Parts: sequence; C-alpha cells; structure tokens
Amino acid sequence: MKRKLITVSMLLLAGTLFSLVGCGGSGEDKKNGAYVVPEGGFDTTKDVEITFYSTMGDSLQSVYNAYIDEFNEIYPNIKVTHTQPTGGYDGLLEQVKTELSVGEGPDLTYCYSDHVALYNKTKSVVTLDNLMEDDDLGFTKEEYQSYIKGYLNEGRQFGDGLMYTLPFSKSTEVLYYNKTEFNRLKLQVPDHWFSEGNNDVTSMEYVCRELKKAHGDSQPLGIDSEANLFIQMTEQLQTPYTSASGEHFLFDNAENKAFVQKFKNLYDEGLLTTQKILGSYTSSNFNDQKSYMSIGSSAGATHQVPSKDEVGNYPFEVGIAEIPQANKNNKKVISQGPSVAILNHGDDQKVMAAWLLAKFLTTNANFQAEFSIASGYVPVVTTVDSSSEYQKHLAKTEKQLAQYYTKGEEFWEFTDPYVENATPVATTVPVTSPNPGVDQKDRIAAESAKLCLAQKDNYFTSPAFIGSSEARNQVNNLVVAYLSGTTTDINVAFKDAIDKCNASI
Amino acid sequence: MVDSRQQWKAWLYLLPALILLAVFTVYPIINTVKIALLEGYQPLGAMGGELYAFGFSNFSKVIHYKDFLTCLKNTVILCVTTVPLSCFLALIVAVCLNSIKYLGKVLQTIYFLPYVTNTIAIGMVFAMMFNIVGLTAVNADTYQGALQVYNIYTNSQGEHIGYVAQSWGIINNIIQAFGGNPINWINAGVNINRPGANTYIANITVMIVYIVWNALPFKILILLGGLQGVNKQYYDAAKIDGASKWRVFWRITCPLLSPMIAYVVITGFIGGFKEYSSVVGIFGEDMGPAGNGSLMTIVGYIYKAISSNNYGTASAASLILFGIILLVTLVNLYVSSKKVHY
Amino acid sequence: MENNQNNPQGEIREYSALTSSNNTLSESLKRDAATYDVKKVERRAKAQKIISNIIVYIFLIALAVIVIFPFYWMLISSVKTYDEYTQSNPTFWPQIFNWKNYADAYSAASLGTLFLNTVYVGIVSTLLSLIITVLSAFAFARLEFKGRDSMFAFLLATMMIPGELFTITNYQTVVVFLHWKDTFSALIIPFLVSVFYIYLLRQNFKQIPNELYLAAKVDGKSDFEYLIKVMVPLALPSLISITILKMMGAWNSYIWPRLVTTDTTHQLITNGLRGASFYLDGDNTKVNYPAQMAAVVLVSIPLFIVFICLRKYIMKGVSRSGIKG
Repeated sequence: MKRKLITVSMLLLAGTLFSLVGCGGSGEDKKNGAYVVPEGGFDTTKDVEITFYSTMGDSLQSVYNAYIDEFNEIYPNIKVTHTQPTGGYDGLLEQVKTELSVGEGPDLTYCYSDHVALYNKTKSVVTLDNLMEDDDLGFTKEEYQSYIKGYLNEGRQFGDGLMYTLPFSKSTEVLYYNKTEFNRLKLQVPDHWFSEGNNDVTSMEYVCRELKKAHGDSQPLGIDSEANLFIQMTEQLQTPYTSASGEHFLFDNAENKAFVQKFKNLYDEGLLTTQKILGSYTSSNFNDQKSYMSIGSSAGATHQVPSKDEVGNYPFEVGIAEIPQANKNNKKVISQGPSVAILNHGDDQKVMAAWLLAKFLTTNANFQAEFSIASGYVPVVTTVDSSSEYQKHLAKTEKQLAQYYTKGEEFWEFTDPYVENATPVATTVPVTSPNPGVDQKDRIAAESAKLCLAQKDNYFTSPAFIGSSEARNQVNNLVVAYLSGTTTDINVAFKDAIDKCNASI
Repeated sequence: MVDSRQQWKAWLYLLPALILLAVFTVYPIINTVKIALLEGYQPLGAMGGELYAFGFSNFSKVIHYKDFLTCLKNTVILCVTTVPLSCFLALIVAVCLNSIKYLGKVLQTIYFLPYVTNTIAIGMVFAMMFNIVGLTAVNADTYQGALQVYNIYTNSQGEHIGYVAQSWGIINNIIQAFGGNPINWINAGVNINRPGANTYIANITVMIVYIVWNALPFKILILLGGLQGVNKQYYDAAKIDGASKWRVFWRITCPLLSPMIAYVVITGFIGGFKEYSSVVGIFGEDMGPAGNGSLMTIVGYIYKAISSNNYGTASAASLILFGIILLVTLVNLYVSSKKVHY
Repeated sequence: MENNQNNPQGEIREYSALTSSNNTLSESLKRDAATYDVKKVERRAKAQKIISNIIVYIFLIALAVIVIFPFYWMLISSVKTYDEYTQSNPTFWPQIFNWKNYADAYSAASLGTLFLNTVYVGIVSTLLSLIITVLSAFAFARLEFKGRDSMFAFLLATMMIPGELFTITNYQTVVVFLHWKDTFSALIIPFLVSVFYIYLLRQNFKQIPNELYLAAKVDGKSDFEYLIKVMVPLALPSLISITILKMMGAWNSYIWPRLVTTDTTHQLITNGLRGASFYLDGDNTKVNYPAQMAAVVLVSIPLFIVFICLRKYIMKGVSRSGIKG
C-alpha cells in the first residue's frame, strides 16, 4: 500500500510539474521514456493504412462501421482494417502474441492490462503520455475531462507510471436480487458482508440467513466470479494482493486468510455458493429461484432476468444494487472490460493514425452511447449525457435509482406489477410505478448502466504485470478449493496458489 | 548398379515429403532444441532485444517443478489405461461389425459420428452428464428441505451428515436408479463416498471413459478398413478346420490385422502421452476440479508455459516428453516387430 | 452358397469361387461321414449362431446408444435457448426450438466464400497429401535404401513433439520468409505431410505379399506402374480413411488458419463460424453454447455427408482383389 501511495503521489507530482511547464514544448519536457511525437506531427496528406483488432462481435461491428465513416470524414487519408480474431479475448491474445513474436501485429488492439504487460516485452506498446498532451494530436481539455477518471487511470497500472492504454468500454460487478421475494420477506438490500451484532439487517450474512430460513434448499447468494470476490475484498480492506514491481504475489497473508475463512463459514452454513462450486451459472440458479441474490457482471444484466411464463408475465421482479462493501468510506468495485493499446512497428505515421482512431472512438459521445446500449457495457466518457439515445436508454428505469440501493432504504413499498399477489404497502416516499410498457430486460439493462455510472468514483483495477492473470486464476482456484473442501487447510490453499503463481513467471 | 539406382529412386519417391518435413518439422525442432538451451527464453522478450545465456536451467526448472511428478503420473495412468482399453474395444467392435448382416451400415455410420463432431462440444456434453449442480452437505437429522439426502455417514461428532443436490447429473441418476450412492465425478469439493478422501479416482475414471469414447471412432475406422483388406481365404480355411470363433479371432484375425493393431497401439501411445485437450474439455484450463491442477498432464504443463510465453521451459519440457515417448515407442516397435505379421 | 449362409462362422460374407467350391467339397465330405448327425449338428449350429448374433447385436446397439447420446445432445442443445441450456436440470427435448442459434452461427460475413475456400483447401490438400503419402509409404514399405529404418524411426519420433511448439517458427517461416500471409499456400502446404498417414499406409503396403511385387517385376512393370496399378487399389480402404481424416483436418482446422489469414477471401469456415458472436451480447465472459453447438452442427454436416458417401468404398474393401486378382 505504501508503495502504491508513493507511486500515486509521484504521479501527481509529475502531473503538476508537467502542467506547470506546459505542453507542446521542446523534447526535454516530454515525459521520460514515453513515446515521443515526431517533429512535424501527423501528415494528413499521405495515405496511411492501419489495422485494428477487436472482439466486439458482429452486432457491435455495425455500430463501429457507422462511426468509422464519420472518422474517415475527418481523416480521409487513414484507412482502417478492422479484424476480429476468433476465440474471444484468448484468441485475440494468442494472435497478437504470435504476430508480435515475429515483429508483426496490429496497430491498435483491444486489450486487457494483463495482455499489455506481456506485449510490452517487445517494447512495442506505445506509451501515450506525450500523445495525450500533444498540441495537435492530444486531447482537448474537454475531452480529457470527459473521461471517467477511474477508467483512465487503468492505463497507468504497469508499475512505471506511464500511460499504456485508453479505456474503451467498461463493466463492473453488481448485486442482482429477487425484489419480489425481498418484498415478501420484508428484507433490505445488504450493503456489507458480515453481521456486526445479532440484528444487522443490512448485512449479507443476515439477509442470507433469513432467505435460508424461508427456503431451506436454496443457496441464497450466488457469486459469479470467485477471483473478483477475492480481489475486491483485498481492495476494500486494503490488504496486499499483488504488486507490479518488486515481489509480485503478496496475497498470502493473515488478513486475506481471515476473510476467506469468513466466506468459508457462510458457505458451510449453506448461505452462498459460487459458479464453480455450484456447477452451473449462478444466473441460471437465480432465474430458477434457487437463489435470491447473484453477484455478477453489470454487462450481463439481461441474463439475470427470468424467462416469462406462458401468459407472458415475469415470475418475479429483479432489483439491482451495489455489491456489499467492507468499508463505507472506501468503496471499491472492480473495473472490467476492454481497453485499447497502440503497438509500434516502426512507422510513426501508423502510430499517430492509430492514436487518432483510439481517441476518436473513446471520446466520441455518440459512438460511446450507441456502443454501450448495444453491448451492455458502460461508456468511458461522461459526455454521453448529451446523447439523446443514451438518455432514452437510461429513462427506461422510470424510477430514481437511489430508491433501490441506498443503504437501509425501505423499498418494499413498491407495488409489484409482475406478480399478481404482490402486497402494496403504504409509504412516505412518493413512488412512480414501473412503466408497464418497458420490458423488464430493458429496465434492468438501463438500471445496470445507471448504477455503473453512479459508482464512477469507486472503480479500481489491480496491478498489471506478467503473471497478473495467473494471480487472478490462482486466487480464483484458492477460493473454490477451500470453500468447497477440496483443500481443507487454508494455509496449504494459499501456499499452493502462491507456488503456482511463482512457477508461471 | 541396380542397388544404387534403387537408392536414387527411393529418395526421389521421398523427396516431396522430405522437403516439406525439413521446412515445417525439422527446422522447428532444431529451433525447439535451441530455445530449450536458451535460459528463460521468451519470444516476445527476444523481439524486445533481451538476450539469453546458453545453459540447462530450463530443464532443471521443469524437473524441479513441484508438480512435475503429478503431470507424469497422470499422463502415464491415462496412457496405460486408455490405449489398451480403446484398442481392444475397437477391435471387438470392428470384428462384430464385420460379422453382422443387418444394420451394419447404420451402425458404422453411428460409430463414426463422434469423429465428425467437435471435441469442445463433446467435452461439454460429457461434463454435463457427470456434473452435479448445487452439491451441499446437510445434517441428515435436522434437514428440512424437500430434496432426498444421499450418502449419509456419521462424522466424528456423531452427527449424520448427508448430501443433497439440485441436479445429480444423468450418470448419477442411473446409479441412483439402481440403488447406488451418487459419486462426485468432476465437481469441486469432497469425496462424498469416503469422508476425508479426495476425488482423484472418480476424476480419472471420467477421463478414461471420455478418452476411450473419443478414441474409438478413429480406431474402429482403421481396424475395419484393415479387416476389409484381410483375404477371406484365411477364414475359409479356418472354417474348413472347424475352428471356434475365439480361435479364429486370436489365431487368424489378430495376426492378420497385426499391422493395423500395431498402428493404432503405437499412435495411441504417442497420442496418449500428448493427452491434454480432453482434460481441458472436462475440467477446464486449470485441469482439475476446483482448478487445482490435480489432473495436469505433461502437455498441459507445456501449454501453460507457452501461454505465459515461457518458451524456454516449454521447449525443455517437450524435449523431455519427446525422450519419454521415444523410449515407449521403441519398446512398442520392438514388441511389434516380434508380433506383427506382414 | 446356401450352405455357407448357415455357417456359424459369421465373419464370412463373400466367397471367392475357389474357396466356396472347396467348402462345398468339405461339407459334402462331412455329410458323408456322419449322415445321421447332420441335422442335429446343423440345428445346434444354427441356435448357436442366433445366440451369438443376438449378443453381438445387443453389444453393438448398446454401444451405439452410448456413442450417439452426446451427438443427440449436441443437436438438441443447438436449438435450445441460452436460458434453457443453462438450467440446472437439463431438458431432454427443447421446450422451444430456437432456430435463431443457427442464424447467429450463420451470420458470420460471407459464409458462402468461406465454404468454397474450405472445400478448395480441403480438396487440394487432400489430393496433394495423398500423392505425397503414397509415394513415401511406398518407398518405406517396398524399396530398399540405406538408412530406411532409421529414417522411418526418426519420422515417427517427430510426431511426438507437441505441434504447438512449432507454431511460432512455422508462422515466421510462412509469413516472414515466404510472404504467404493471406494465401491458400499458407493453409495447404505446411500440413501436407503427415507421418501418421505415411505410417498407416506403410503398414498397409507391407501387408501386400512380396510375390505380387516379384511377379510384376517379371512382367516388366516398373516400380511406379506396380505402385499405381497394384498397390494403390489394394490399399484403397486405407487411402479412403486417409482422405476422410485429411478432409476432416482441413474442415476442422482452426488455430493455424486463424493465424495466417485475416481476410475473408482466404479464411476457412471454422474461422467464420467460431466468431466472436459466440459470446453473449454484452458479456464477453460467457460463451453462448447453443450458438456454438449450432455452428458445430453446421460444420459437421458436410463432413458427415462425405463420410456416408465414402463409407461405401471403404466397405467394398478388397474383396475383389488379392492374389487371385
């Protein structure tokens, strides 16, 4: 943590100095080690061809295509070849790795920070600091400020303080809950994990116990990603997980064991399960009403909705809320989803063209809005507020989101249009009844987007280095092995995970 | 004179194959040896200008890897069980198919089906058949739910512990239908039949079933093709002698088919030592329930090294594997040279 | 012939003139020797045959059910909705037939081109591969030359290294040295030689009696003529097996084509089918398995048809050839 603080403060210092000196000056002002924009900048008269690799999928490709035309109106000399290597992110990683190994590769690519750490072994990943500050090519002040800061900072997770990636579209984890059942049992949405005292009604532990009492065979909470659970806990509790520099794997410590043990106790009591332990997607359990809460990706919101019955009614209504937090004053939630990185193959024109495309796609409010609506991800810039499409999308919630997830809010006052015998209870809070014209899937997608935007100050990403993806893998396995009982000794489980991490680098 | 012309001609026949092999197989192998001797070699790092010293550290890293013995053990177990089993089963099927009058075409087509389908898809189906959803331990005395409790045992505190599940999977349903106790085949968690034991035996059983299933179509195809090539006169002769079916099978079919049997056994062993994707198909990339790598194979280890870009260790490990398979193949070839009749 | 049909040695279905006459002879001899027992023996033999046939059928059909189940599962999964597919209690018959999966799998751009590409690559590489395999298998099986056995052992040994280690080197060779990126050559040439096939065919060739070779020599046939006119027809079942395997290889190959082709004018069908569309919209971590299954079915069908067409030839076997030929 100390190291992190130092890095952050140094960054701040560097930033301040930088702004004092001003930008666009001579070479000495350039950020140490970052890619230097060549004299003369980008030549708009010469044709340049660049390749862009993504995994956006066919349905999003059409959104992209519409905006690439707009991009070409501004820069008619840039020809972009867009390729989607098959096999999702792993396929993309494999493709780029192989190409980079022989000195080839795309100019711009979708990436996760783990990938970038690997790519950068070739020293071909372009650091963006000087490009961002460049007078001609860089961000305008408005553009720069439009980024959600938490997302932008992900580009600096590589241990040297330089900027390697731009956020493209993002998601996080949220808590889905069966609102109908919560109403019936008069439960409150939990905002923290473990009970403090006997009647801690807003703790996950309490809520799960109540649900378990009512439904003996249920597993009240399903957790989609064991790794996210672990990593978010370390970030919320501020206990060591990994570091991009020095000793990499720091997660074997007493504090982490303590919280894993607490989850183990909840699991043994039958209060929660995880995807791998359950042996099925937790969302399907949730939709089947075998669990009543599910922690999963905000981008998968439409899959957290049950199928309609024969007459076209949903069997229950879904609510959405922040994930439980360990510390109300240090709310942390993991940031996921693709970023883009520029790869340098020795042609500055291509590097700059790729930069212009990356900048265009990430700062264009309309593109970000449409892309987000189509994908379920959230935009990385706040300027989407200006997009009427996006406003329409968000308006499908009809209700003030605050009423759903604020701590301790009593919300069982909402009449439930999806269930015949829902009990309407008088309330002091004015209630807008859900718009029956809006399908629950659309509503939940919109609420998910709103919730993500509302948490924009809480995002974090863990450090990226070679082996960071293995760390993620191993903490995932650790949680599964210890909770399920495959490994009975918590010390062995942790040590095993550390050993496997070390063996991978 | 004749001899040298024969020589020259033989090489001419081999020329196209040799050129292609030289470029696309031998050259990469030489590269692999080179990389195995470069300590800590990574292609991406090499591209970035890193330099690597010559040495044997890659090999020692592989051998000293804590779980290398686990990899070796799993590989050997899978190999020595699945190869004889699948070859024998395929032989029986081929002989039976060759002997029947009706339905032969339909059955042949069915047996070949798995071959045209995709390993991923079949792996998912197998995993689904063995998969338990929502396995939970409960106290059998106080349990209130609606599910049936299985595998009840008394723990050290004298409580009766049993297991419930939302879905036990098709295989367990069959076991239950016959009154047996369900088994935790592939899921993370404890052995529900023997408290305190691990699930390794159940896991490896699933792997054996899956690998045999997967290997059958190819072997049936080859053996059936071979069987069709067998001259019928041998059988007729046997019939005249009034030999029993088994005698015909052992004394005529097997020897006549021995080149093809040798082929499926030897390639089976080579393939068996390279077992990887079938384990991933059932247990996922981390090759074990709970992702603990308890079913990791040698090729699995190599893949892991490749995916983290550690080509140095991957190359070293594959040369070690190469040595092992070479040894096994030599033994196989030696045995078959004694037994195979051309 | 009538007699033979009732023979307990069920393996035999076709008889050469020579053996069947032999057989009739022996049967009639037996009949003479034990005239009174014939009926009894025949009846017992018949009963035995029926029982053994029943056992054989039960065994084969039971195995067929086991074999077919995953295939059946793949088919029904390919028309399930994602929600139904992920239910914890799997359904044995789809509640709703969601043909959209096929549309999703098919939606990949210019699938027609990809299909033609695959057929082209499949046919060309199979033909070339067959030629190379026949030539080298012949050399290994029939011709004498120095170092033949050690060379063969070396080839076998090359099968043992996981091919994935070759990927980067081969990629470099093809893309950097040969400039074959986005060409059919890159898809066809690196995999033309398969030691597996050479080995298979060599085994088959070695079975062909030496006398035929010597006879051909006496007739004044050249080695090549002998190979084409005698050995190839005799080894037809193996050649057809190789054809099927090779076609399937071309049809299912995925990783290498993905690496060396980026444009649809050269990509293969698997690249089109296994596109990013198999990830659920908006959730790149969850694979849309039903759509993937649909894609697998789409890829499998042409292969399956090829197999059914060729199966006839495999089964024909060599009953018409042999020494008598």
